[in-house]
Amino acid sequence: MKKKRIYFFLMVMTLVLILAACGSTDDAGDSGTEESGAEEGEGTAGEGTAEGNNNVLTIALGTDMVSFDVHNHTNTSTEAVHINMFNYLVKRDPESGEYVSDLAESFEAIDDTTWEFKLKEGVKFHNGEALDSEDVKYSLERPANDDTTLEHINYEVIEKIEVIDDLTFQIHTATPDPALLNRIARMGSAILPSQYIEENGFDHFLSEPVGTGPFQFNEWVKDDRIVLDVYEDYFEGVNEEWEQVVFRVIPENSTRVSELLTGGVDLAVNMPPSEWDRIENNEGTHMAQETSNRTMMLFVRHTEGWPTADKKVREALDLAIDNNAISENLLSGRAVPTITRVAPGNFGFNEELYDTYNYDLERARELLEEAGYGDGLDITLHSPRGRYLQDAEIAEMVAGMWSQIGVNATVEFMEWSSFVDMRNAGENKDVYLLALGNSMFDAANALDWYDYERFEGQIDYQNEEFESLVEAAEQNMDLEEREQQYIEAQEILAEDVAHPVLHQESINIGVSDFVNYTPTIDEMIYVETITKSE
Amino acid sequence: MNNYFVRRILQIIPVLFIISFIVFTLVFVAGDPVSLMLPDDAPPEAREELRETMGLNEPFVVQYITYMGNMLQGDFGESYRFNQPALDIVLDRLPATMELAIFAIVIATAVAIPLGIWSATKQNTSLDLIATGAAVIGKAMPNFWLGIMLILLFSVTLGMFPVSGRGTAMHVILPAVTLATGIAAEMTRLIRSSMLDSLSQDYVRTARSKGLKDRIVVYKHAFRNSLIPVVTITFLQTSTLVGGTLITETVFAWPGLGQLLIQAVNTRDMAIVQASVFIIAILVILMNLIADILYRFLDPRIKYN
Amino acid sequence: MSHESQAVVNDISKDELVENRPSSLKRWMRLLWRSKTGTVGLIIVVIALLVAIFAPLIAPYQPQEINPVNMLKPPFWMENGSMENILGTDNLGRDIFSRILYGSQISILVGVMSVVVAGFIGVTVGLVSGYFGGIIDNILMRLVDSFLAIPTILFALVILAIFDSGVFTLIIVLGVTNWVNYARLVRGEVLTLKERDYVKAAHSIGVSNFKIIVRHLLPNVISSFIVISTLSVATTIILEASLSFLGLGVQPPTVSWGSILSDGRDYLSTSWWLATFPGIAITITVLGIIFLGDWLRDVLDPRTQK
Repeated sequence: MKKKRIYFFLMVMTLVLILAACGSTDDAGDSGTEESGAEEGEGTAGEGTAEGNNNVLTIALGTDMVSFDVHNHTNTSTEAVHINMFNYLVKRDPESGEYVSDLAESFEAIDDTTWEFKLKEGVKFHNGEALDSEDVKYSLERPANDDTTLEHINYEVIEKIEVIDDLTFQIHTATPDPALLNRIARMGSAILPSQYIEENGFDHFLSEPVGTGPFQFNEWVKDDRIVLDVYEDYFEGVNEEWEQVVFRVIPENSTRVSELLTGGVDLAVNMPPSEWDRIENNEGTHMAQETSNRTMMLFVRHTEGWPTADKKVREALDLAIDNNAISENLLSGRAVPTITRVAPGNFGFNEELYDTYNYDLERARELLEEAGYGDGLDITLHSPRGRYLQDAEIAEMVAGMWSQIGVNATVEFMEWSSFVDMRNAGENKDVYLLALGNSMFDAANALDWYDYERFEGQIDYQNEEFESLVEAAEQNMDLEEREQQYIEAQEILAEDVAHPVLHQESINIGVSDFVNYTPTIDEMIYVETITKSE
Repeated sequence: MNNYFVRRILQIIPVLFIISFIVFTLVFVAGDPVSLMLPDDAPPEAREELRETMGLNEPFVVQYITYMGNMLQGDFGESYRFNQPALDIVLDRLPATMELAIFAIVIATAVAIPLGIWSATKQNTSLDLIATGAAVIGKAMPNFWLGIMLILLFSVTLGMFPVSGRGTAMHVILPAVTLATGIAAEMTRLIRSSMLDSLSQDYVRTARSKGLKDRIVVYKHAFRNSLIPVVTITFLQTSTLVGGTLITETVFAWPGLGQLLIQAVNTRDMAIVQASVFIIAILVILMNLIADILYRFLDPRIKYN
Repeated sequence: MSHESQAVVNDISKDELVENRPSSLKRWMRLLWRSKTGTVGLIIVVIALLVAIFAPLIAPYQPQEINPVNMLKPPFWMENGSMENILGTDNLGRDIFSRILYGSQISILVGVMSVVVAGFIGVTVGLVSGYFGGIIDNILMRLVDSFLAIPTILFALVILAIFDSGVFTLIIVLGVTNWVNYARLVRGEVLTLKERDYVKAAHSIGVSNFKIIVRHLLPNVISSFIVISTLSVATTIILEASLSFLGLGVQPPTVSWGSILSDGRDYLSTSWWLATFPGIAITITVLGIIFLGDWLRDVLDPRTQK
């Protein structure tokens, strides 16, 4: 009797296991089919990474891309993937910083508020649809008109696109926009197939995206991988190097490093500084590094009643920070100390304020004394954790440096969404740490963070001279004068110590010796520039 | 007997209600994802508008009723991150997690049964100490630490297994071992104590006194009896197992439910959080029910009241 | 009267433990000595507690004291190491030995206090549920089933992502998510206890429900409570470390073993000492607690008595 029961039980157990196992493989297959429409796609991708298929490039990302809604994200690492599937009208040449032809063959300003563009002939989307002016009209008017899209704020200056003929169109702006080219060569500027979207709906586009780029969509398994296949009819010629690109999402730093070291991936982004030497010294891998257009800074509160409303206190805080020590100790010397947020390569860059910093403990103590905090000052420093390169470590080190001048800073780390909530609600305390990028490569975008109205109740920095300069520059079509205005504006900010600026970050990518890769300042990953080294 | 199970199954209904309430309340308190969905400096009016369209301005009760109404139709809302029904995404990810969990259980059982028996037959000797010690160390090591060490040793240094991801059978071994250690430890301890229990039972003593070989006594009689709690505990480990996948999947970039959940919590994608907590809860309840049924089926001494 | 009847419930050895006060310590010690693992466990736990209590006296540095010129120094026995920082320093030049000493305070505090919170809720629910039965029992048990169906770490993850996690929040959250085991255990015991004659007798002579619960039921469930709560402290310490890994444990400058371990994980292959020592601290302590818990179970649980 008992014996039977046990046998029965063992049978049930086995059955459950088998069923579960079958179920899981079946389901995996199903989900693959559903997403990619081709089960083989998944197979090849797997083989490629595991067995080192020569024509498959594998790139490890730290976070998944957000969405294929190109107008509705502000995420640099998402754009780094998109850039391989879509094209802009013009693109920024990373070498010269000039804006050059991409989908547009030619472009010229007709008057202060009108630009005329002519598209290249014979450009085809991945679905075979031919590129025409209507596509441009759809793609740029969407962020310009739809105020729920995340990129709206950067496109609202565009009033309308006037279609002249199939390949010619004009962009009309509401006000003169000296930075229009910068504006349409970045996040939110990708040209989408209007006909395809009209026929199938935007949701269909999101699951089966179609662009004009060198690679086309194969599948996206969320939080796991994005697979792109080479596009044979790419207008600049098919990519000979790679048949397939796989972006793998590997959130854990050490796992990403291990994948690179063992040859599981060819490229791995965001390598932690502690591993740089190891990757460099390891046989078969090296580091590819470049300064990024991202600047880490401390935003302080100018609201009346806060100690940091006093310029002396802000200056003391700034003088107490040894930016070089931060760079040397925490970032292996890879960060560039700076006093301005506008980095080289951006329009309106102020050379005087770059690659330098103010450090003078004596003076800092004096200033604090003068401000009436001779016997100590208690402040709070809020910081995100794990969002930017070494953010938490830098925050703690800054607090440590401040303690030397009698400033007792409590460092509070916040989870990102709470951090955003806190700032939006104006509940931020004395100081918070942020690292900001600037995909527009224009000082206007960088200096907008000093705008009074934009951060009223949160920052409350106000300087009328600064504001009139920036306002004038914003619509100034005389580029030389405009540049001068921004340079001056930055001097005012530096003089005011509006927000102590720490340093310009670096891009740190681990690369397998099998491939050649040079990162670019915009943090994009242009697969086209990656080649095999043999 | 039938009555008992009918009642057990009926009890699931209020439980699911309570869970939905708990989850909903948490999400309600969590506030809204609006600040993450809009640009950093979106004007307050835009925020307000989005809140309005998402129905986040309704009072708690109204929101709850709407939520329950939708849920009963299998609609957990749409993930704002993926623009897809949350339930679809969660069900898509379930197989990967199941695969990992099943491999982990198989590994755990394969280790725990011999280790448990062995340490029970050698009770209070140094061998026992080593065996129980090994089991406990498995339980005492934080999973993420173990996972990273396994990668460094077996993938980076020895090159035996792929580092991360899901694909071949080789991919599943390291994460499954990581996940299995905790359960294996628990099972070993349980087998040991239930073996000790059965070894001291009268019939085992009788069998021994009759001069039956030790090995036969141990395996035929004692082990068979101690199997019952082992079986049930295996099913009852579902909750621990699923909890463990949160960590293991993150370390090994395993594309399952655990990773999805962590990302969802970080990005306040509450539709996903709700759907996955609910699916996990149903899974755990089902497994517990199976454990219950098996237990009662295997052990005729238990009455159904 | 209650003493006598209680003695009936307890088995003889336990009765001896409780009743023969003068010799009980000696007897405990003898029982302890018989179990090798129990002895080891007790020694480890006592050392861990002493370390936590006297951390400020032993620690050579403040745990959050950074030192930019002294970063990533290896332990003293290695090249470049020194007796200044016997277990080396971390990426901010903080002394690892001091951090582990201070970290023990938070880890043990969170472990013990959250078990106290969980125990309080669980025992209360279990007593009430088991004693009153009926609809109350039904409702409470469904609540227990619900909590049981959501993995603790998942529960904690969701709650901690909402509330910023300080030590206090952590204790409450881990307590609130962990009480069900106690409730189930206590309820089970109460169900058998309440059929005993002495409880029935107390009831019939009109002793109030509250008094019956506190005087007669509570003392009898304490020993099982102690056993599982000991083991629970161990799992909570691990859980805290896991939450740190997910970025939701205690936040700096507060240190716990979990947070040191998880901060050091990026350095496992380059500066192994950052994560290895806190890892060892956790493993050994948890090991000790489990050994002690097992031994307590063997001694306190009448069923395993020989």
